[in-house]
Amino acid sequence: MTGADAPAPETPPGGRRRARRRAITLESGAPDRAAAWYRQALGLTDADPLLTAGGVELRFTLGTADTPTTVEPARIILNFHVDDIRAAEARLVALEAVWARELERTRWGIIGTVLDLDGNYIQIVEPAPESPACLQRKEEHR
Amino acid sequence: MATSTLGSILLGTTNPERLRDWYAAALAPGDGGGGFTEVTPTMFACTFGDTSLLIDGRSDVVDKNPEPGRVILNFHVDDARATADHLKALGVTWLVELEEREGGLFGTLVDPDGNYVQIIELKE
Repeated sequence: MTGADAPAPETPPGGRRRARRRAITLESGAPDRAAAWYRQALGLTDADPLLTAGGVELRFTLGTADTPTTVEPARIILNFHVDDIRAAEARLVALEAVWARELERTRWGIIGTVLDLDGNYIQIVEPAPESPACLQRKEEHR
Repeated sequence: MATSTLGSILLGTTNPERLRDWYAAALAPGDGGGGFTEVTPTMFACTFGDTSLLIDGRSDVVDKNPEPGRVILNFHVDDARATADHLKALGVTWLVELEEREGGLFGTLVDPDGNYVQIIELKE
């Protein structure tokens, strides 16, 4: 495939192990500041050496983008599942985060959307019990 | 004590079926659609490790990611060379082919929407 418009590849035979996603890399004009923001937003303390949310590490690299904030915040949205959404909301309020959508009860649960320092959308989610399994809260792993 | 987990990552797209099919073939092989479930007619979900990937048809994004370096999805695999061979057989677009770096094997590919996806096999 030389162009992204090429048709999707065929599904291969079963038997291969599915890949795991254990990290996400976010580009930032100020990666240290962004990492500190996420640490506060996620409620991590000095006792948490890694910047992780569940089994996924968040990595920040110095950005090379032309614009200071992301052009399309709806392109990739990080959904953080929390067990106390009011506490999560309070942390974001303390950070003076910009809210794209304040806490709202939806069919999937209670969801709020804020912009991080680089303009990416992140959501805090308290999933509804009747949500599909793929949208339920996962156990925390460190 | 923080109890936040990255429960899911949502990819906004104008063509959710195409993106679902690509991720299913590339990284979530298996029967019956590669493990993706239909959440709504325009949203599909698949679990990778502890996190779900949500593919959501949206009207507030364009066809191609204008800033693919902004956010990169890193998929950790047990055998990066086998994964790379599989991806090559599928004919995916590589930004950086699999290479050995300090820490392990890394390769970066581009999904049909232009998002960057890395496969990583870390050294033990």
